Amino acid sequence: MNLQSSSSNPNFLKLRFTKGFLRALMRIYRHRSKSSSSPREISQRYRRIKLAADASMALAVGSRRLWSRAVLWRIRNQVRNRHVFVKRVSSHAIKKRAQKKKEEQYHLAYDDQENKLRKLVPGGAAMDICSLLDEASHYINCLTTQVKMMRRIAEICS
Amino acid sequence: MSGQENEDLGFQHRSESILNCPSSGMTTSHLPEKVSGMTISSLPVFKPSNGADPFFGSGWDPLVSLSQSENFGGSSMVSHGELSNPSYSVVLESQGMNSTSHLVQYPSDSNFVEMVPKLPCFGSGSFSEMVGSFGLPECAGIANSGCPPNFISNKEKGTERASTFGAQSQDGRETEDAGIGSSPSGKRRKRVIDSNSPFSTNKNAEGEQQKDLSGESSDVMKELDGKKLKIEENTSGNLRSKQSGKQSKDGSHSEEAPKENYIHVRARRGQATNSHSLAERVRREKISERMRLLQELVPGCNKITGKAVMLDEIINYVQSLQQQVEFLSMKLATVNPELNIDLERILSKDILNSRGGNGPIVGFGPGINSSQPYPHGMFQGTLPTIPSTAPQFTSLPQTVLDNELQGLFHMGFDSSSAIDNLGPNGRLKSEL
Repeated sequence: MNLQSSSSNPNFLKLRFTKGFLRALMRIYRHRSKSSSSPREISQRYRRIKLAADASMALAVGSRRLWSRAVLWRIRNQVRNRHVFVKRVSSHAIKKRAQKKKEEQYHLAYDDQENKLRKLVPGGAAMDICSLLDEASHYINCLTTQVKMMRRIAEICS
Repeated sequence: MSGQENEDLGFQHRSESILNCPSSGMTTSHLPEKVSGMTISSLPVFKPSNGADPFFGSGWDPLVSLSQSENFGGSSMVSHGELSNPSYSVVLESQGMNSTSHLVQYPSDSNFVEMVPKLPCFGSGSFSEMVGSFGLPECAGIANSGCPPNFISNKEKGTERASTFGAQSQDGRETEDAGIGSSPSGKRRKRVIDSNSPFSTNKNAEGEQQKDLSGESSDVMKELDGKKLKIEENTSGNLRSKQSGKQSKDGSHSEEAPKENYIHVRARRGQATNSHSLAERVRREKISERMRLLQELVPGCNKITGKAVMLDEIINYVQSLQQQVEFLSMKLATVNPELNIDLERILSKDILNSRGGNGPIVGFGPGINSSQPYPHGMFQGTLPTIPSTAPQFTSLPQTVLDNELQGLFHMGFDSSSAIDNLGPNGRLKSEL
């Protein structure tokens, strides 16, 4: 089943990803003003494009994979958090403290390879090593497709 | 019936010797001593004597299963050296069955693997028929009471085994069946008695007998000489239902949880058969399998052996891929697609169809991987060179780049700066 999904994946994945990504790109380019020289705007656009790339990739994969679900969940939370911006200011400090505590807790295995991989693969913190490796392989597969397609787009655009 | 008497006599001798050690008599360790002297082709036969009836009742199942499996496999007859219940004699021969003509007295082996004689009637007929042919009312009585479900299950199991292990070596099959048959000891007695009661009720029974099976077989494998065997079975619904008759109280093999999709693993020869180590071995094999898959995905990792190095490579590769995504998104952000009105259509067609443009890009890929530590170290060095390479880009973002770099640098976009550093290189390469 893994083989089937991986073999049939490239084409469908490409299609779905490019469709979604191009649509998002169009939307982003439509919104840009003529004077697009300010670095702030560019960085903002960069962030949006990056988000669009991740989101379209995750959508192309769907909820079949843990990592795609984690990405979609994260994006959804980000969108929600934007609306609750006022509250976030105070909770930001709390977040930092919580993060520090967590880091201290995991200090022993902090530089472990496994933990590094967990950090890299979205949603990897909640997986056991077996499924982590599984998800990592699929994630690498999708990332390579993403990179390929984005390069082509960049090539054509520029 | 003289033949039968002789058989019975010989059989009684054996049974006496066995009866002397009632509790331990069924252990496999004792079997070689007793059986070595005997030349019997073991058959699942009901002993007509009264004394050993409990033996029969307890020990019938494995032998029935054994015989059936061997029968369905169409295997030849070999004497079963170490049998759980050597008291089973060749009474069948005396019964005048056709199959008995095939029975030959092979020398008994201490080798457990040798199999059980084939009895065509086993394969075709039902249990009651077989018993009827024996002409042993006791057998029929016992059979009808407790064994039919076991028999049916065993018979089915036999077919299943024959079909699944058709490709496997005979030895493997024999070992397996022998393992099942031999585990007997005193456990069998208790087990069959228990099997009748909770048979219909327990769902866990299936799981338990799976445990039983795997546990027994693992125990047996440990004690076997000779055959090195590893069988991994995927438990199917059929298999479980067949084994429903056998249940085990053996709680030590608790690692085989009664799950439907659990994979059976046999302990290899010379390996620990502890339940924990078995589970660990399965886990390790899964992990190594996944690592192999990953090795194929990550380029340039064919020669790497070792989990740690492989993991490092994987981590680096994932990091580099993510950085590439960021770089490309930054590039797309700076690019100005004014000319593309039907952007989507053009892009989709070109992108999906273009494969020739992949060459230089592919060459760029490994460059990034190898130069992954490169950008961070070289950033300060190449910072002044970036404005010089800026003309490579379109004229519009040239001034933007300088400003942007400074702005981004202040903002702490390390990734983007690295990306911009790579940008000129990539551009150069792609143009070349």
